[in-house]
Amino acid sequence: MALTSVQSFYSPEDSKAVIELLDKHEDSALIVAGGTFLHGLVSRGLLSGIEALINIQKLGLNKIDISSDAINIGATTLLGQLKNCPEVKEQAWLGAIKDAMEYPPTQIMNSGTVGGSISSSCPFFDFPVSLLALDGNVQAEGSSGSRDIPLEEFFAGLFENSLGSNEFVTGVRIPVPAGSTTSAFIKMETNANDLAIINVAVCLSMSGTGDCEQARVFLGGGVGESPVRSPSAESALVGTKVDEEAIEKAGEAVLNDLDPLSDHRASAEYRKAMGKVLLKRALASAMQRLS
Amino acid sequence: MSTTNVIGKSITRPDAYDKVTGGKKYPVNYTLPGMLHMKILRSPYPHAKILSIDTSEAEKLKGVRAVLTPDEVPKKYFTPVYFVPYNAPSMVQDFILLSDTVRWAGQPVVAVAASSEDIAEQALELIDVEYEELPTVFDPEEAMKDGAPQLHEASPNNIAKNPSFEFGDMEAGFEDADHIFEGVYETQRAHTCYMEPRVCVADSDTDGRITIHSSMQHTFGLREKLAVALDIPESMVNVVKPTYIGGGFGGKLDIGFIEGLAALLSLKTGKPVRAEHSRGEDFISTTRNPIKVYLKTGVKKDGTYTARQIKSILDCGAHATHGSEVIMVHGLYGTFFPWKCPNQIWEGFTVYTNNMIGGGYRGYGAPQGCFAVESQNDEICETLDLDPIEFRLKNTHREGDPHPVLEGHKLASYKIEECLRQGAERIGFDKRQAAGSAEGVKKKGIGFAVHPLWVSGCVGFPDIYEHSGATVKLNRDGTADVISACVDLGSGQISMLTAVVAEELSLSADKVRIVYADTDTAPFDAPTHASRATYSAGLATKAAAVETKKRLFKAAAAVMEANADDLVLEDGKVMVKGVPESAVPMTDIIARAESPFIQVGEQGPAPTTIAEKGTIIGTASQAPPSNPSPVGAQFIEVEVDTDTGEIEVLRVVYSADVGQVIHPNSAEGQVEGGFQQGMGYALMENLQFDQETGACLSADFLDYKIPTAMEMPSNIESIFIDSHEPTGPYGGKSMSEMCLIVPAAAIANAVYNAIGVRITELPITPEKVLKALGKL
Repeated sequence: MALTSVQSFYSPEDSKAVIELLDKHEDSALIVAGGTFLHGLVSRGLLSGIEALINIQKLGLNKIDISSDAINIGATTLLGQLKNCPEVKEQAWLGAIKDAMEYPPTQIMNSGTVGGSISSSCPFFDFPVSLLALDGNVQAEGSSGSRDIPLEEFFAGLFENSLGSNEFVTGVRIPVPAGSTTSAFIKMETNANDLAIINVAVCLSMSGTGDCEQARVFLGGGVGESPVRSPSAESALVGTKVDEEAIEKAGEAVLNDLDPLSDHRASAEYRKAMGKVLLKRALASAMQRLS
Repeated sequence: MSTTNVIGKSITRPDAYDKVTGGKKYPVNYTLPGMLHMKILRSPYPHAKILSIDTSEAEKLKGVRAVLTPDEVPKKYFTPVYFVPYNAPSMVQDFILLSDTVRWAGQPVVAVAASSEDIAEQALELIDVEYEELPTVFDPEEAMKDGAPQLHEASPNNIAKNPSFEFGDMEAGFEDADHIFEGVYETQRAHTCYMEPRVCVADSDTDGRITIHSSMQHTFGLREKLAVALDIPESMVNVVKPTYIGGGFGGKLDIGFIEGLAALLSLKTGKPVRAEHSRGEDFISTTRNPIKVYLKTGVKKDGTYTARQIKSILDCGAHATHGSEVIMVHGLYGTFFPWKCPNQIWEGFTVYTNNMIGGGYRGYGAPQGCFAVESQNDEICETLDLDPIEFRLKNTHREGDPHPVLEGHKLASYKIEECLRQGAERIGFDKRQAAGSAEGVKKKGIGFAVHPLWVSGCVGFPDIYEHSGATVKLNRDGTADVISACVDLGSGQISMLTAVVAEELSLSADKVRIVYADTDTAPFDAPTHASRATYSAGLATKAAAVETKKRLFKAAAAVMEANADDLVLEDGKVMVKGVPESAVPMTDIIARAESPFIQVGEQGPAPTTIAEKGTIIGTASQAPPSNPSPVGAQFIEVEVDTDTGEIEVLRVVYSADVGQVIHPNSAEGQVEGGFQQGMGYALMENLQFDQETGACLSADFLDYKIPTAMEMPSNIESIFIDSHEPTGPYGGKSMSEMCLIVPAAAIANAVYNAIGVRITELPITPEKVLKALGKL
């Protein structure tokens, strides 16, 4: 099935032009960069109303800026660039992103972008789940200016998000945490080209005495129309040393917050069981990273 | 062969450079000026009667040139399988291009030709079809029951074929047994996942003659079936052989729909018409048939078989097509005759359902059989604490034994013992741990499977074409052109034929070209299937090269004033045997043969002789003399994560007797590619359908999972046993399909060894493993 409805392909060079095009085409425009998910959407008949593709790769958003309080990643930064970023490689608190970048095959790493991974608003993607654990923000631009949207408020259902009609994603912003923080991500997949059957990201902030002060636990894959948070698992971790016992309790607790779906790829029962297993492994991996 | 020139030496594949630089000769890249594009409207219902079709709005759309409805298609029912006659009595003639009854979701209903693909696709949306839904049945055992919805009037209880074989005394055999094992083994629908989609360009002449380019496995099969579908004489169709295709694996071994519909639309419009499947269309066009095997085996304490009772139920979907033959091959070569047992009975059922049509896929019923038999053999050895290698050897044939299926033939080259022993030694089989005894969450295990009988073509099968042919022509520049209708599927037929001709004519491989061929000009060749190309096409091409050499010697004898019988060809030179100083470069002989009769030289005009004149050319067309069996055993190490059920394949050792290896690199490629498909079959591949609507749930590779390079084990070792098939070209026989028959059984046995629990239904998904472990 071809993208028969597409009449125009634009490559604007500044945000203003993008916004004008979004205004002009309204719901029939789609922002693209790497275009890696386009085929999957087209072959499922999900882009039948799209008449204009707006390529934002000429906007100069392909960059990673690191300051003392935040990491800013431009929307058209390739996943491969993110993987090779020294901070991502080395910093324990960015472990969840480092882990998430281990899964995509080379073709996706070389063409998929950070902005596309977020704005597709697909609950089966990996990077958004790792970013949720790190409390990232989405940077969006529209006719009323720029704004930061906490990622937790960004996703609004399957392929839905809280962007305004002429807004688009320009990047993501990850606040640098204070103190000792670690994170990890794990995905279950059938092959390297697979969307997550289920995935888990955790981020733990530890006190000087080794107690967990804050925990963020998110799961994606076939868990719902958007990735889900697990407050139960988080409460089971806060105040503990995140030792074996606490990890076991968190594994039990996450089941309270999981109501996954059954489909031809896995049953809800299996996804739920794997939520527990993967969470425990991700917690152990995050703690290992800290030591 | 100790003094071979190119055989056994991995010549550079002549098609390699072209393929890695874009592969412009793939049929998918073929275009003609002014061609139209065809799209197919498919039924959304799995079983329905078409009440009316209104195409008037579609025909009004600008750019639409022609629409084809069931009324306009010849009412010819035939067998679309390429390798048998269209009306073969052993097959079922239930196939038609367009019907007014729909039997599976996705069946073509209307075809449209338009000036662009987009317009053709838009036109489909303007066609109004009124259906009357009929009751459906998706499970073959349900379909066999009285009162089930009937798909074809001629087949009560939806049974399209019901073959059986039997010998010995079953009752006595089971009485004689110390132990009886019973099991049910199930396999799924798997697609071959060839890279190039089914695609064709059909063009018609003003006299109604069709020329067609297509990505398919059999030039002459397409000619025959297209002529039948169009109800025209065979000579009115010319099929151009593709230089190569992007994979077939048995999935392009029947005419399907696009060629016939595109040809009819070309006749209707007078324009060339191109049709190309989307991946989603390919997924519902051909598949390995699911087979459920009921297996009951009696054995003595020492493991000797006393009785085997087998029932196989094959789901052929809406039309029988390959299902009538797959069930036979599954019975004969997949389950029954590979093993030695005095009392055996097998009964097979090919059953219609409202599922998609099944098809050919490497192994053709044997992977399903091997999975069942070798799973149970493993179980027998575990239960009775028998050495699994000795158990296999006790119940299989030996080199020199009569061929168990083909009367008058022998297992002349058949190194099953070496396969098993060398494979076992390489993987360290004697050190494997007891089943399920590994410590920790991740448990390693080793298992193996052997398949003791397979084919090098189809000699001995009823109704199956088998002969091959070729023409070999020598050029004045010292090169050879080879005309052969044998299609290269990607598995190396071009390099095999090149090597055979180079070897026979003492040429370097770069002097041999496989050139243009079509069904108008080339001798008949059966399809590239049944692991037959090396043995059958290789032998015929060798025979053509021998004829060419004879012609060369005839001319040389005149030039050299020698006796043709005394001449030999060495290093590109013709010489009297044992007299090196008599050597004349073969290019000189060819040049004289092709030169004017009277040549003017420095000494003036000099006539040559009539005897040396004429193109040095040879043709052969012949059936192969036998059907030697290859043997393959695969040893596998896996690691199973007992918390998630995930399986990782760590190491693969494949040991095989394929006779003399013609092209070692390609042979290893066959082992690796075959394992990749076998591993997908074992662990993840499954075409799934909505059981209410019958709709395929896999549109592309997002939903249909095959192993990528990332899942493949880094360590796949091939052992080719030293062997020589006396009837084969340079001692060679077949290898291709065997590489895919054994992996699923070997993986299943390795998983059992790791976790101590057996999965008897493919694919072995993490979820099934976890359930079997009692953790879900």
